[in-house]
Amino acid sequence: MLGRRLGHIIAIASLAMVGTALVALPVAAQSEGKTIVGGFDVGPGGFPGNFNPLMATAGFTWLNTYYEPLVIYTADLSELKGELAADYTVSEDLTTFTFNLADATWHDGEPFTSADVKFTFDLAMNAESGSIFAARLSDVVSVETPDENTAVVTLSGPNGGFLSTISQLMMLPEHLLGQMPAAELAQSDWWSTKPVGTGPFKFVQYVSDQYVELEAFDDYRDGRPKVDQLINRYFADPAAAVAALRAGEIEFTYAEADDAQTFEDDENFTVIPGDSFVLNYIGFNHRTELWEDPRVRQAVMYAIDRDAIIESLYNGAATKAQCNYVAPQYVPEDLIDYSYDPEKARSLLQEAGWDEINGTAELPWLTYYASPQVANIMAAIQAMLGEVGINVVPRVVDVPTYNGIVRGDDVDQFPLVYAGAGNGPNPAQHNVNLHSSQTPPNGNNIMHIDVPELDAALETAMSEADTSQVAGRWQDVCRIVNEQLPWASMWVANRYGIASNELENFVWTPAPAGGPFEMNPEDWDITPQ
Amino acid sequence: MLRYIAYRVVLGLFMLLALTVLIFIMLRLTPGDPIDAYINPTIPISEAELTTLRERLGLDRPLPVQYFAWLGAALSGDFGYSIQRGGAPVLPLVLSRVGPTVLLMLTATAIAIVVGIVAGIVSAVRKNKASDISLSILSFLGVSSPAFLTGLLGLYGFSVVLRWFPSGGMLTPGRPFSGLDLAYHLILPAALLSIAQGALIMRYMRGSLLEVLSQDYVRTARSKGVREFWVVVKHAVRNALLPVITLIGSSIGGAIGGAIFIESVFNWPGMGLLMINAVTSRDYSVIMCATLLIGASVILVNLLTDIAYAAVDPRIRNS
Repeated sequence: MLGRRLGHIIAIASLAMVGTALVALPVAAQSEGKTIVGGFDVGPGGFPGNFNPLMATAGFTWLNTYYEPLVIYTADLSELKGELAADYTVSEDLTTFTFNLADATWHDGEPFTSADVKFTFDLAMNAESGSIFAARLSDVVSVETPDENTAVVTLSGPNGGFLSTISQLMMLPEHLLGQMPAAELAQSDWWSTKPVGTGPFKFVQYVSDQYVELEAFDDYRDGRPKVDQLINRYFADPAAAVAALRAGEIEFTYAEADDAQTFEDDENFTVIPGDSFVLNYIGFNHRTELWEDPRVRQAVMYAIDRDAIIESLYNGAATKAQCNYVAPQYVPEDLIDYSYDPEKARSLLQEAGWDEINGTAELPWLTYYASPQVANIMAAIQAMLGEVGINVVPRVVDVPTYNGIVRGDDVDQFPLVYAGAGNGPNPAQHNVNLHSSQTPPNGNNIMHIDVPELDAALETAMSEADTSQVAGRWQDVCRIVNEQLPWASMWVANRYGIASNELENFVWTPAPAGGPFEMNPEDWDITPQ
Repeated sequence: MLRYIAYRVVLGLFMLLALTVLIFIMLRLTPGDPIDAYINPTIPISEAELTTLRERLGLDRPLPVQYFAWLGAALSGDFGYSIQRGGAPVLPLVLSRVGPTVLLMLTATAIAIVVGIVAGIVSAVRKNKASDISLSILSFLGVSSPAFLTGLLGLYGFSVVLRWFPSGGMLTPGRPFSGLDLAYHLILPAALLSIAQGALIMRYMRGSLLEVLSQDYVRTARSKGVREFWVVVKHAVRNALLPVITLIGSSIGGAIGGAIFIESVFNWPGMGLLMINAVTSRDYSVIMCATLLIGASVILVNLLTDIAYAAVDPRIRNS
């Protein structure tokens, strides 16, 4: 009797919970206009919580909804075109870039002019502002403004990668930031409270760790956006974003490969695959003597069945890399294939005297990739290398720990790494990973690669002014990486976004650092189904 | 008595100071600093640029200098700014997260108390019957389920499959604030957080009530003809509640740990999520301030408890 009565109380309490949900649901779903909610900063291309485009190492997909650069990549990242520059010309010697500016206005109604361009360049070149562009723009000699609609940038020498670099340089309003000292700007809350850009959407608010809200910019030069609100929701990880997507709370997110597969046959969603533009490689620490003999490095290549891994662990959604590039125009045909041959690997190791060099002693294999997919890949490679007598032990750490270790001097902690290197669209990007002059503190050559032939090839390619010769120069770089194996190039995998079929004209690609790329957010629309 | 309180306050302050030193050292022993956390390993940034950033943040100075600089500023109420949040001042940031965490924990504790006590009573009254056995099995499952597991399962079941509750966040993005919307987002994480605590309360309530129900005064009440409902509710439950109340107090510590997981799974903007984000991004100043706040609360509660004990027991204050 009593138990039953109390049982009723529990039942009533449960009903009350469900009831609250049912009552609250319509409130939550109530809409005043068209809204697109997405996890735009989820995944490797995102940078949630960063609002300062000068300090952004990623997150450009989202930043580009309210800020704009002078030039931008097309959505397939194959070429650059004008964005805030209506058009531009480049001098034959690749040193003078003239931008004719578009007729744009800032979100506060002020006109966008060449003074803003000069201001942005000056700020970006000033490391005090916290800008991470300073070193990359160090060859800028001057930014001239012959008139309000023209900006001319002059470089100290030819730089084929200049336009690619500034495709991430978002233009900033001089009339709002010009009076603020550069050092103060780095810590200003202007970026996350009242930023003003020229993009199709304008900033409304950031709710800490929850979401960023934008609204349509009525006076956008290409027409008012079709949706009224654009919201970027934050998630702890891609899996949480996928859960929200399935629950119908958001319309788009990046997804890990395993999650993306589960959407393949779902008629409510579209899976958007794309090149990750990240080369995964096994990095040899050249500060140890382990990998000095090229035959040891070759043995690593021959010991790994890359085709089987791509087939079974990537479901075919990765491109085998024979050198540091996979883009066909940079890959010559006469490369060494390094197809799976454990027997050959064993004999190469024997010739090199691997037993004396290291034998079966454990070698820590450091990575910052924490996904289950990579854990499986590394386990497979561990087994394959074990077969030929190289005993590696994967060690997964978080990004700051990884960076702390590989930028330190304790080389025993990382004789080997599994890492990624941005692989385009600009081929010159690898210079900081591969050129001997780029070892810390100058650059990002953390494994201390020092191949003089490769240095020369990189320098030639970067200063090549003849556009018909450029691809061939990068092929030379590829050939040397393939022969000398400064690192063991593995593959470039696909990445995925999942979009609800309620979205129309939605453009996304898993661009490195999130782009930016031409995605025309003003055309995005949503039709509830 | 005043001397005792003064002694305890000074001791508490020393403990706080020791806590800051300890956290400071532990943070610096962890590999990687805020700038390492800032670097996307696939995107090249030159070391020179990173050095500039480190210098700007003062991370290149010797550790004792960094510590005393922090301490000096903290004593004057300046806890610095968040390195990873574009220079947001730390103190308002941390304080803004206290509310959501307290709301989540209080709701979870309230659910745990109501459900735990009611289920404990049902279980005790219907001892060895089907409802007791099934509730006991459920409570064992609840006690042995870690918050991150119940959090994920609950998220999948109630948000993704059934779509009864939102999958995360505290409010619907882009909508004006409403209490109902907040409740809608609160129920699921709070209910999931309450599971372990509720199950524990149920076990204690059942045991305690069974013991009370076998006592003489209960038999007397029954023999006087008092209806069974009132025997249990009015006479037995009151006495059975005493050990349960002690348990509720001590289980709140466990709920704080659970809250960190639940906040992370549901992206609930509380102290737990702030701490996890700060640790993964090595946001030193946020970690220091948040830990100091949590530490200060624990020390304060202990201090108040000790003072209360001392007030009622002269042996303590004289010892």
